Amino acid sequence: MDPDPRRDDEEQRAKKIRRTAIVLGIVALLFYFGFIFSHFWVG
Amino acid sequence: MSEAVIHEEHHDHHPTGIKRWLFTTNHKDIGTLYLCFSLLMFFVGGAMALVIRAELFEPGLQFVQPQFFNSMTTLHGLVMIFGAIMPGLVGFANWLIPMMIGAPDMALPRMNNWSFWILPFAFTLLLGTLLMPGGGPAGGWTMYPPLMLQTGDAFPFVIFAVHMMGISSVMGAINIIATIFNMRAPGMTFMRLPLFVWTWVITAFLLIAAMPVLAGAVTMLLTDKFFGTSFFNAAGGGDPVMYQHVFWFFGHPEVYIMILPAFGIISQIIPTFSRKPLFGYESMVYATAAIAFLSFFVWAHHMFTVGMPLVGELFFMYSTMLIAVPTGVKVFNWVATMWKGSMTFETPMLFAVAFVVLFTIGGFSGLMLAMAPADFQYQDTYFVVAHFHYVLVTGSAFAMMGGAYYWLPKWTGHMYDETLGKWHFWLSAISVNVLYFPMHFLGLAGMPRRIPDYNVQFTGWNQVATVGGFIFGFSQLLFVYLVIKCIRGGAKATDNVWEGAHGLEWTLPSPPPYHSFTTPPQVTDATAHS
Repeated sequence: MDPDPRRDDEEQRAKKIRRTAIVLGIVALLFYFGFIFSHFWVG
Repeated sequence: MSEAVIHEEHHDHHPTGIKRWLFTTNHKDIGTLYLCFSLLMFFVGGAMALVIRAELFEPGLQFVQPQFFNSMTTLHGLVMIFGAIMPGLVGFANWLIPMMIGAPDMALPRMNNWSFWILPFAFTLLLGTLLMPGGGPAGGWTMYPPLMLQTGDAFPFVIFAVHMMGISSVMGAINIIATIFNMRAPGMTFMRLPLFVWTWVITAFLLIAAMPVLAGAVTMLLTDKFFGTSFFNAAGGGDPVMYQHVFWFFGHPEVYIMILPAFGIISQIIPTFSRKPLFGYESMVYATAAIAFLSFFVWAHHMFTVGMPLVGELFFMYSTMLIAVPTGVKVFNWVATMWKGSMTFETPMLFAVAFVVLFTIGGFSGLMLAMAPADFQYQDTYFVVAHFHYVLVTGSAFAMMGGAYYWLPKWTGHMYDETLGKWHFWLSAISVNVLYFPMHFLGLAGMPRRIPDYNVQFTGWNQVATVGGFIFGFSQLLFVYLVIKCIRGGAKATDNVWEGAHGLEWTLPSPPPYHSFTTPPQVTDATAHS
């Protein structure tokens, strides 16, 4: 059976959305913990 | 009506009653929730402002004790910034971004629901602190240590509430970026995005970079108070001034988080009522990005007087003044858009024109404050209060008012009452200046901010400001009446609503279907931004 190209597009898009959200979430968490832990070295 | 829309309405099943609002994943419902919450918080924060203005009507103590007065200034700031302006702009983003880019909904609808529903809990927690032993937080919205650490039982609750607000904002920002990057209709290239969408992409990145810094700062306050750390405790080897640096590293981008989407709204309204395309679209995009970038290099202009090397003062003075350049580009482009346009002055346009004039006043007083030697005179006076209220009230809040009038017919399907709208505008525009303009004089004369009592020579202008404040506050009830009236009925709005409006949202029926575009539209230059 031929795959439905629209369904493939949807799956690709869902994958991209998940990837964008995960990357941005990790960046936000890194900023948060990075900012706190960097202060152990200040002064 | 297109085939796609009929098909969509056929499948337009959604829960009704309270379940619709609690469990909704629809961008329009969540947008409505954000906007209603924002309006409620405007009135809560506004009521606190009226307590402040009533107390300041005369020198001496009239109505409240100094501790409670300080709680009012602190909570007024927190509620207006995190409860009114930011959620209001996120409400606009939720309603409009999918419709403007040709998407059926936001990219992460369940996270969208969560982003909103965190907020009522956060603000219940924050406002509930007023009932706790020791009263609410009274150290100012900036929460500087060591003063903030003297807060009573309310302290950990305030910190937790601020964390929840931050989580809500970051999740909202992730959703907005994921939507704009992945859900655009075919042909909707980045340089075809409406300016409002552009300003939100940039704001969302600012949020992701800035909010974790605030969360980090208040976490460190929490550990200083309860877990024996000394991040900001001089006795333990820490530095209280470090908190101010960290806070303002968040705080200045925060100012732009509150104003860039407002710029976006104004950039949609002015071309429509000038019946001309926006002048200098590309320069508007680059100016927005430049403002956002520069906002990370200016933070210490909030703290010139705490002591820093001369080279630091010079750096922050010049970098702050540099922001006037891209901001000037924007103001120039709005004026150039109006130039020789076939202008009409419906209520949204009145608010937009008032925004351009009054926000510019706030911008100029900002330039005065940016000059380090002059700032030693202005620091912590009412001049600063006048400055940021011109930026945030006649700036952000006026843009949201204008935007609400502009899109209300699209959202509700009914035209609003134009006569009432004009009454609301003129009452607001006059009273807001009666309220804030005298604060410049008070500040220049040396009246400090955050005090419940003052010297008698400041009485006259304080009384003028209080009268203006009460008229401005009660004028907003007219807006609530107008919105309810518009929701309940009125002349039927056409799809395009405004003669000069361009963009995908105007191709949808008024009100739009539950899911905006189930079949993505093909975007060309002709159907893209105005």
